[in-house]
Amino acid sequence: MAEIVLAVEGLSVYRDSYAAVQQVSFALEAGTDTAIVGPNGAGKTTLVQAILGILPRQEGEVLILGQPLSRQGALPTRVRQQIAYLPQHFLFDRRMPITVAELVSLGWSRLGLQLPWVGVQQCRQAVRAALVRVNAIHLSHQLISELSGGEIKRVLLAYCLVRPRQLLILDEAPAGLDVRSESDFYHLLYQLKQEEGWSILQISHDLDMVRQHCDRVLCLNRRLLCQGSPEVALSPHNLAAAYGSEFVRYHHRH
Amino acid sequence: MAIPPEITRMVELFHLPFMQRAMLGGILTGLMGGTLGSFTILRQLSFFSDALGHSALLGISVGLLLGINPSVVLLPFAVLFALGVTYLLERTRLWTDALLNIIYSSSLAIAIITLSFVGRYKGGINNLLFGDILAVGELDLAFSAVLLVSCILFVGLTLRTQMLITLHEPLAIARGVAVTTHRTLFIVLLSLVVGISIKAIGVLLVSAFIVIPACAARLLSHTFTHYILFSAALGAGSAVAGMVVSAAFNLPSGPSIVATQLTIFLAAMTLPRLHALGQG
Repeated sequence: MAEIVLAVEGLSVYRDSYAAVQQVSFALEAGTDTAIVGPNGAGKTTLVQAILGILPRQEGEVLILGQPLSRQGALPTRVRQQIAYLPQHFLFDRRMPITVAELVSLGWSRLGLQLPWVGVQQCRQAVRAALVRVNAIHLSHQLISELSGGEIKRVLLAYCLVRPRQLLILDEAPAGLDVRSESDFYHLLYQLKQEEGWSILQISHDLDMVRQHCDRVLCLNRRLLCQGSPEVALSPHNLAAAYGSEFVRYHHRH
Repeated sequence: MAIPPEITRMVELFHLPFMQRAMLGGILTGLMGGTLGSFTILRQLSFFSDALGHSALLGISVGLLLGINPSVVLLPFAVLFALGVTYLLERTRLWTDALLNIIYSSSLAIAIITLSFVGRYKGGINNLLFGDILAVGELDLAFSAVLLVSCILFVGLTLRTQMLITLHEPLAIARGVAVTTHRTLFIVLLSLVVGISIKAIGVLLVSAFIVIPACAARLLSHTFTHYILFSAALGAGSAVAGMVVSAAFNLPSGPSIVATQLTIFLAAMTLPRLHALGQG
């Protein structure tokens, strides 16, 4: 049996009085790609943020690489180093003077107490190698505020791969890109997945991409409605349960 | 060639111990303000530091009313006040600048009412408002030096963590950074820097030391590392130049330093444009 990279058991997140996510359980095997699909407001982002410890959870357990995530969101540093997260919208203050190379170097850093000049040479080499692999080495000295949407996504992939990782968690990572840039992004992502052996948990609205690339699908609408291979989870019956029957009729006509 | 008498007078002035202490105090304050200021403006805490400076008058006036040395009251007051305001800001649905406005104007009002009960403060209200860098003592310098070392250690040892928190908090949390702890530590250091600088610069001008060098450094920098170094250097450099201007023209010291910071800021705004024109 393949190694379980991520195990979620009975996870619930409450906001004020309602359950944003309720009793969700699933497991992610090493090297596989799992998509979370569901309508807006289904709790997809809440679920991944609770898994990462960004949002607190009220019930359930999360095990990442066999280590439990505490209720306060703490995980051993060596496990944290194995995870990379790309948010839905990478919103940052565009007046911040940070270059592409500096951003990618933050992915390399262990982020503990350290003298700023320790490991600079190693870091520089790793950043360079990562930028070469995402075809962004020419952007190295540019401020990130000067980049296009597609370039930022490539640089964020370099941030992920500047250190070996096991688990990538993507929250609609190509959001905001045009069709061509989105296609380029997925092409690069799956090329890197092959090379790096990443396990991926991603939120997606692109059901065609999910059918083409993902091994498993979780249909979420506050609760986990179904999970399985794309053929099973994205069947008209299951889609109707997640999105409503109107959506399925429309989707099949087009 | 004879040295002009004005220069001789100024050199003699800087031989006096109180001027040397003032110069050293200015440099230490400039370095601390510049170092923390670089993160303060990016985290949009400029107005927070201003409000903190204004509200410090309340701490001073309460100290005077209770017959305690204002310097002793100031630092604990600044820290508690900053933590209290941060707690309030995180739990209110009001706009940050509006809430800060309420806090600092009401603190000022209460401080002035309290001072009216104290009677005549021997230092005078002017010294509280604009500071008196020439009155900086050796103990003040020792405190400032310890605080500067703490700031450098904090920023230096957690530089990449601070960068990631400033850039994108969820990304930092996903990497296991205790963001709340780091933010609180930063606020505590910032409030100590503001508190300790008030004696020299006064409640009205203290935030200039945090904000102006950092803004000038931002205009001149193309990497984050340069930005922090420029900010600290401009903070210290403007203090030295401001003190020299103050001694040369017999002007008030604190305002002279702030006016120098403004000159540097204007130059930083103009230089890149001149450079672009030159290339065009």
